[in-house]
Amino acid sequence: MRSDEVKVCILRMEGTNCEQETFDAFKRLGASPEFVHLKQLEGRDTLAGEGRLLKDFHILMFPGGFSAGDYIRAGAIFAARMKAVLGRDLVAFIEEGKAIGGFCNGFQIMVELGILPAFDCTMAEHPQAVLHANDSGRFECRPTVLKHVNAGKCVWTSRSNKGELRHIPCAHAEGKFMLPHESQEKEDALYQRLFDEDRVVFQFSDPIGDTEAPYPFNPNGSRFNIAGITNDTGTVFGMMPHPERVFFRHTHPDWYRRRIGPEEGDGRAIFWSVLDHIERKF
Amino acid sequence: MDISNLFEDVGLPTPVRRVNILDASDDVLRSVSERLSIGLSVDEMRRVRDYFGTEGREPNDIELEALGQAWSEHCCYKSSRYFMKKAFLDLHQDHFLIKGEDAGVVEFDDDHVYVVGLESHNHPSAIGPYGGAATGVGGIIRDVLCMGAQPVAVVDPLFFGPLDLAYERVPEGVNHPKFIFNGVVAGIGDYGNRIGIPTVAGMVNFHPGYTGNPLVNVGCLGFGKKVNMIHSRVGGVNEIYILAGGRTGRDGIHGVTFASTDLSADSEEKDRGSVQLGDPITKEPLIHSCLEMNEKGLLGGMKDLGGGGLSCVSGEMALAGGFGAVIHLDRVPLKEPGLAPWEIWVSESQERMMVSVRPENVDEVLHIFRKWDVEANVIGKVVEGKRIKVFWGEEVILDLDLDFFTAGPQYCRTYISKVVDREVRDVPFPVPDRSGLEAALLGLLGSANICSRERVFRTYDHEVRGRTVIKPAVGRPFTPGPSDAAVIKPLEGSDRGLAITADVNPFFCELDPYRGTLSAMEESVRNLVSVGARPHSVTDCLNFGNPEKPDRLGDFEEACRAIGDFARFFGLPIVSGNVSLYNESDIGKVPPTPTIMMVGLVDDIKLVTTSDLKTGGSILYLLGRTHHEMGGSAYYQEVGAACSCVPDVDMHLSRRMMEVVLDLDKSGLLQSVHDLSEGGLGVAISEMCIGGHMGAELNIGLIKDGSSSGGGSPLRCDIKLFSESNSRYVVEVQPQDAARVEDELSRYEVPHIKLGTSGGANLKITEGEKVLVDIPVDILDHVWRNKLTWLLEGSK
Repeated sequence: MRSDEVKVCILRMEGTNCEQETFDAFKRLGASPEFVHLKQLEGRDTLAGEGRLLKDFHILMFPGGFSAGDYIRAGAIFAARMKAVLGRDLVAFIEEGKAIGGFCNGFQIMVELGILPAFDCTMAEHPQAVLHANDSGRFECRPTVLKHVNAGKCVWTSRSNKGELRHIPCAHAEGKFMLPHESQEKEDALYQRLFDEDRVVFQFSDPIGDTEAPYPFNPNGSRFNIAGITNDTGTVFGMMPHPERVFFRHTHPDWYRRRIGPEEGDGRAIFWSVLDHIERKF
Repeated sequence: MDISNLFEDVGLPTPVRRVNILDASDDVLRSVSERLSIGLSVDEMRRVRDYFGTEGREPNDIELEALGQAWSEHCCYKSSRYFMKKAFLDLHQDHFLIKGEDAGVVEFDDDHVYVVGLESHNHPSAIGPYGGAATGVGGIIRDVLCMGAQPVAVVDPLFFGPLDLAYERVPEGVNHPKFIFNGVVAGIGDYGNRIGIPTVAGMVNFHPGYTGNPLVNVGCLGFGKKVNMIHSRVGGVNEIYILAGGRTGRDGIHGVTFASTDLSADSEEKDRGSVQLGDPITKEPLIHSCLEMNEKGLLGGMKDLGGGGLSCVSGEMALAGGFGAVIHLDRVPLKEPGLAPWEIWVSESQERMMVSVRPENVDEVLHIFRKWDVEANVIGKVVEGKRIKVFWGEEVILDLDLDFFTAGPQYCRTYISKVVDREVRDVPFPVPDRSGLEAALLGLLGSANICSRERVFRTYDHEVRGRTVIKPAVGRPFTPGPSDAAVIKPLEGSDRGLAITADVNPFFCELDPYRGTLSAMEESVRNLVSVGARPHSVTDCLNFGNPEKPDRLGDFEEACRAIGDFARFFGLPIVSGNVSLYNESDIGKVPPTPTIMMVGLVDDIKLVTTSDLKTGGSILYLLGRTHHEMGGSAYYQEVGAACSCVPDVDMHLSRRMMEVVLDLDKSGLLQSVHDLSEGGLGVAISEMCIGGHMGAELNIGLIKDGSSSGGGSPLRCDIKLFSESNSRYVVEVQPQDAARVEDELSRYEVPHIKLGTSGGANLKITEGEKVLVDIPVDILDHVWRNKLTWLLEGSK
């Protein structure tokens, strides 16, 4: 499949607000993104020609933002609305090998939907993890360094080598990734499983690659500095930081300190990787 | 006075009262105005009475309420317009495309415009800091949106009382500055973050004069295509008025009259209901839907509902188009049942937009709103003639001539200009030794007005939309310094950028409103020039005290004159603005605060400069003249000295400085640029070191008194270090470029001094052989970076 044939559904509802830059990222790489309101998939209040079917797309993107204001719990309302009407379509979409990605609020929505981490299933009935309030208790908009630790499972980072550091900023109030704590042992085992199954994609690190670095390098306090994970098939991927904000180098926090260098920002590889995957597979 | 007998129910199913004032005396008129809280003076009430005399009938309460809103200071600028008109309203430049509407529209390139607005939300924020600030952001975003532009950046200059004010010194009825600060910052963050518009710049200032009356100014920058710009007026007769967005409720009743009186100890109790409630998740789809239908060409006109609510919008939109309007008030959706018609008419409930639409486009417009789950209702239409009629069912309850309704009074009230002693007459005190100077520098870096704002701007999303090229922090990502201005790159496929800054130094303005305002204009220019942007337009928010007191109005007049003088000299248009008067409480007036927001153009964002030192071994120059003018300076506050001579602005020099720095910048000769402001050279160089995580070694021995009277005579070393003279920059230059840079500086006749070099771990400043300061950058960083947190959390 040519890149311009790759159809990307940039899904939005009220309060979604990183959709333009997410759209732009795919567009710049030659794909065919489209803004789709959740109601267009639900078929509510649509005129002829406005409805859309999930299966007609190859990539589903949950952009960042504050869907429905995040007033109940980040991403909870978006996820509940989506699951009620489109749950089965979503499972079929994943099982066909198509890709789903979410950044920041998108990641929160995916966790609420149960499609991440999705232990032993495609979509869990109840959330299996939570993105909890930051340890600081505040919204944190700051530069973060991510260490790419995936050994090859995640199709969203195939263009990034294992061990590579990427400067991708974050901006969230609820980003502390937590797995259930029935007992310390069980919780530890779950984390172990994430690592063993190569499902951890990014960890927060300091500028020299220490993935145990505390705040502010880890802006939210997540255990093992987890910043992004994938599902068992490697096609469903969520992360707290915002790669769409660093598509170009000139939006990095310190790009002007080195005048020479590529125009490419550290976020671009993520979009590129998933397009590679779809182009090869379909 | 008992005037109950004047009010007579007209017998509708909803409460509308006739108010019998045709035969009323002055005393009765005053009582009626007070009873209705509409804030009209006896003179104004007489005009109203006479008008209804010619109409041959008594007014209804809703009509008096409507006039009270329309003729408030906030809506009609009755005390301020005279002065602004005289000083700067005539300034025009060809790139200034649309003036006099909700926000100014300025040319960006052949096909695009940027849109700017700046507003105050002071009184609501004093009482309800969180809601007041949030709805301030919401209001200014709607102003920009209703010109047809996508909002792309928010700017928030904030002014509070001291955070460490002892609780027993907080006046009665006043919230502690810390409470207000926390609420305002959270309100801006929660609202701005939720609607997805980056908050990229601003300022936070602390001054005891804001204790009783904080100032919350909020600016917004929008961007759009020229062809999509739309006016705040109806397009033609028979257009349909559609009211969209939030429902109408009792929040925000009498917001504009509340904004047009002094605060008092019982304001919290009495005026609670004047504070609106924000709802970003109604606003966000409202932005999308309005932009979508505007782009499709479906709208005749668009205007947001702000001060004065439906009352102001319905009339102003129709009149601006040359028509009249009919409104069916019973069709306005309400938050709760039981609102009286007058309440619906003047409510300032948030997140509402009025669009006027040709009849054939109504269905499509309603569909687009429905698609976004935005409630929208047809509530009226545009008619011939210049009258506005409001119906409740079949009954007309308001019927006013629009020319009379919208033509509020204009006053030239008495004013007295402040007598300023500009002769330098400070009480001499001994020049501090090294330890004194080091303590002073650390004291300044750790002072509330100079320390890092990181604690604030990290809670604002400043890079959503992915177009923020220069953020509020610059330098090494995890130990950044302050940036002089934010830069965004608004357009895909173009490297042109917009730089934005906001500034004012209330300590200067308090002592000398004219020079203080000039300094605010000049500092804004410096901030833009420091990042490599050419100043392009000015927006102001003039926050002053009660204009009915001549000295307050005198301050206002001086500030207007300074804005006009500076803008005229620099050829800068004043593209929009806002006046906020009556910023007074029981403990007095706020310092004169003419907040200046300036937008600059960057030809190529790849060439921007920042303040952080880049490489060791670079040469550092000081550009400009240093004077002994310490009035309002941070250093004199730090050491407890007084002086009434505030820094002057030499506009000729200022312009040459601007030209040469922009020129050098374009040639890529400047590694870093930082302007000198609060704390002077000592603070500026410290900030450059902090951002670059690198030391510097300077010799300030060559700095001489720059004034003609001083004639190059020596200055005290502490004055050299901490003078806040305007029109000065520190620049970092690679050694191989030094000769070229010096030639250029000489060619522009710009005074410059080679200060020293970058490098090492310490900031070392000498005067000849004598060491004045020698401090590790890590220590400077620690004090500067953490002070605000210490102040807020009460530690250290």
